Amino acid sequence: MAGAIGGVSDSSGALPRKGAVSRSGRNRIALVLLVVPLVAFILLLFVWPVLRFLALAVDNSDVAENLPRTAAAISSWDAQAGELPDDAVFRALVDDLADARAAGRDGVLAQLINQREVGTRFLVIRTAQAAAAGELAAEPARATLLAAFPGWDNPRLWRVLARDSSPLTANYLLASLDLTRTPEGAVVPVPADQAIFVSLLLRTVWISLVVTGICAVLALPLAQAIVSAPKSWSRVMFALVLFPLWTSLLVRTVIWIIMLQKNGPVNAALVAFGLAPEPLSLIYTRFSLYVTMVQVLLPLMVLSIVSVMRRISPNYMKAALSLGAPWLVAWVRVQLPLILPGVLAGSAIVFVFALGYYITPELVGGPGERMISSYIAFFTNETLNWGMGAALSLQLIGILVGAAIAFRLAAILFRRRPA
Amino acid sequence: MRKQLGLVPTIALLATLAGASASLGQEPIVVVGWGGNWDKAYKEGVWDVYTAETGIPIVIEEWAGELAKVRAQVQSGNITWDLVSPEAPSVEIGCAEGLFVPLTPEITGPPESYIPGTIHECGVASDTWATILAYDADAIEGEGPKSWADFWDVEKFPGKRGMLAQAQYTLENAVMAMGVPADKVYEELRKPGGIDRAFAKLDEIKPHVVWWTSSTQGMQNLDSGEVVMTDAYNARVTNDIVNEGKNYVIAWDAGFLFGTDMWAVVKGAPHEAEALELLKWFSVPENQAGFSKLYAYGTGRVEAADFVDPEWQKHLPTSPQHAQFGATYDTDFWVENKEALEQRFQTWLAQ
Repeated sequence: MAGAIGGVSDSSGALPRKGAVSRSGRNRIALVLLVVPLVAFILLLFVWPVLRFLALAVDNSDVAENLPRTAAAISSWDAQAGELPDDAVFRALVDDLADARAAGRDGVLAQLINQREVGTRFLVIRTAQAAAAGELAAEPARATLLAAFPGWDNPRLWRVLARDSSPLTANYLLASLDLTRTPEGAVVPVPADQAIFVSLLLRTVWISLVVTGICAVLALPLAQAIVSAPKSWSRVMFALVLFPLWTSLLVRTVIWIIMLQKNGPVNAALVAFGLAPEPLSLIYTRFSLYVTMVQVLLPLMVLSIVSVMRRISPNYMKAALSLGAPWLVAWVRVQLPLILPGVLAGSAIVFVFALGYYITPELVGGPGERMISSYIAFFTNETLNWGMGAALSLQLIGILVGAAIAFRLAAILFRRRPA
Repeated sequence: MRKQLGLVPTIALLATLAGASASLGQEPIVVVGWGGNWDKAYKEGVWDVYTAETGIPIVIEEWAGELAKVRAQVQSGNITWDLVSPEAPSVEIGCAEGLFVPLTPEITGPPESYIPGTIHECGVASDTWATILAYDADAIEGEGPKSWADFWDVEKFPGKRGMLAQAQYTLENAVMAMGVPADKVYEELRKPGGIDRAFAKLDEIKPHVVWWTSSTQGMQNLDSGEVVMTDAYNARVTNDIVNEGKNYVIAWDAGFLFGTDMWAVVKGAPHEAEALELLKWFSVPENQAGFSKLYAYGTGRVEAADFVDPEWQKHLPTSPQHAQFGATYDTDFWVENKEALEQRFQTWLAQ
């Protein structure tokens, strides 16, 4: 169809060209049709859920949705005055809690409020029960509620409800940068003993960078050996690189726990050869984390460097050598610049993989080796604080975007240099 | 030979048919436990006995104590579970939310016949487990640690310590290391600055700790010599002593806290009445002792201990010789503070 239209619009052109255009138009359609499932898959099952989850970083509607009347009534209350809200707000709260109880939502609501103001779970549940039973109907609402449940005589709790009556919040994002908001609304750093996320962010980036660097340094000679070796040897070495890649990540991780533990083979060898007077603490350290991550990720780096190296003619090196350059100088000045695109591609892959590491730091590292992903898991699975989990996920995406830009710039820079 | 092999599937088929016909007249009660050996001990020691006595079949499902799942079933009206075993704090919350059926002494037996903390308005103990101090007697020369203060004393007992990487249990151990007996731990934690003092005590041991998150990992660290002593769930240690012949020792007299999982009947469950009948039967000391005989956790009724072999009793936290050193976890304290303290603990851990 599109091919025919292309043919008509191209009627002034020569016949062979017309044929070419119509074929390329048909190809384009086929291409689009082939890609549609992939795009739909990505949009539906990747982009959409990820965006939904990330939106939780600023979403604050869960409390307000369950307390619609309270949220509306409390907006006129002056939270800074240090006094409790008036009767209308109390009445709204009692009605909202009765509705929540009738809808079976009181348990979740109590959990949400307890997350924000610790020690209020049973207050909310019992108030909701009494409200649903009609025990709090007497006016004035404020006096009735306070008489039955004195726990509501707590301006902090009401300030939390007032703060969370708006559907959007920056609190999670601030908290993920070790910042907090004073009751007056100013943004200040949290006390030093609660600050954790900035150092966590830096640690995650640092560990990923170090792993990427070690992988690059180890992969270069290995890749060179694979490419330069005779064919049969090259195949064997290539298979040896690929083999671990086909093994489960968990297996490769747990192996290092066995290797590096107190009475493991590494320590036994160190003691036997007199290199250490007694077994060292090797596992659950930064060292063991680097060893494991490098072992797991190294094949990816080797693969990308080998694929580039194979395309480089050995004649360049031969020429440099025949012109009298020592081997190392020739390699650094001639071969390395040609390999760099492969190193960059490999680094990008290794860095991105390393950034999201979760199970390996949990298994072979100590608490000082945990990376951002561990905390995302902690907040989403254990404390059910999805807002914090989403805020930290945003940080990870931020680093990814930054890394993508950095690698792109580096690629452009290196491409220019030989010219 | 071939004929005999052919017999096996036939017998299996017959057995299945027999099982099916037995359950034809009676719908099974769905019981939700903690999986693995725990469920196995319950099946062999308790449920099979009940089915044999009454003909009422019991189906076992597995969970990890997530109250949200019960909440979802009750809210949607599509309830499939009859009897569940949540941890005591979840029973407290679920009971307040009206997810569980309140129990009467007619079902549970006299409340004063239970070990304190093992009976609740909505539940009776399915198992009481303890977090104890354990060490490898082969790795320590001479006398082993006798107290949590010894656990903290790296001069006297050199080597790393294993500790569970969470606030609950760890804060309690830190308070006991300050010389507070188990039954005074929460009094101390509730005092102004009590939690800060516990964290300060943890600061002292932090450089010497290898943290664990799963029981298997914790026991593996003890086994490999990575740590010389560790906190642990008592049944895991007993399992390694009895089944693998390890020379581990549980220092019961150092003080320990025990927690309770409880059987609770889901309100509006399809077999609510049958589940209550089952619970009534379970509340008889002899019947619940069937679990402790097979698994090193205690149950609620004090008299249940009389039905357990004295030799096996020395492994149970609820046995008379150990119970004097233990105290129950404070459900109220953890229900309200869990989220805040776990978050603070994770921050402390990462610094």
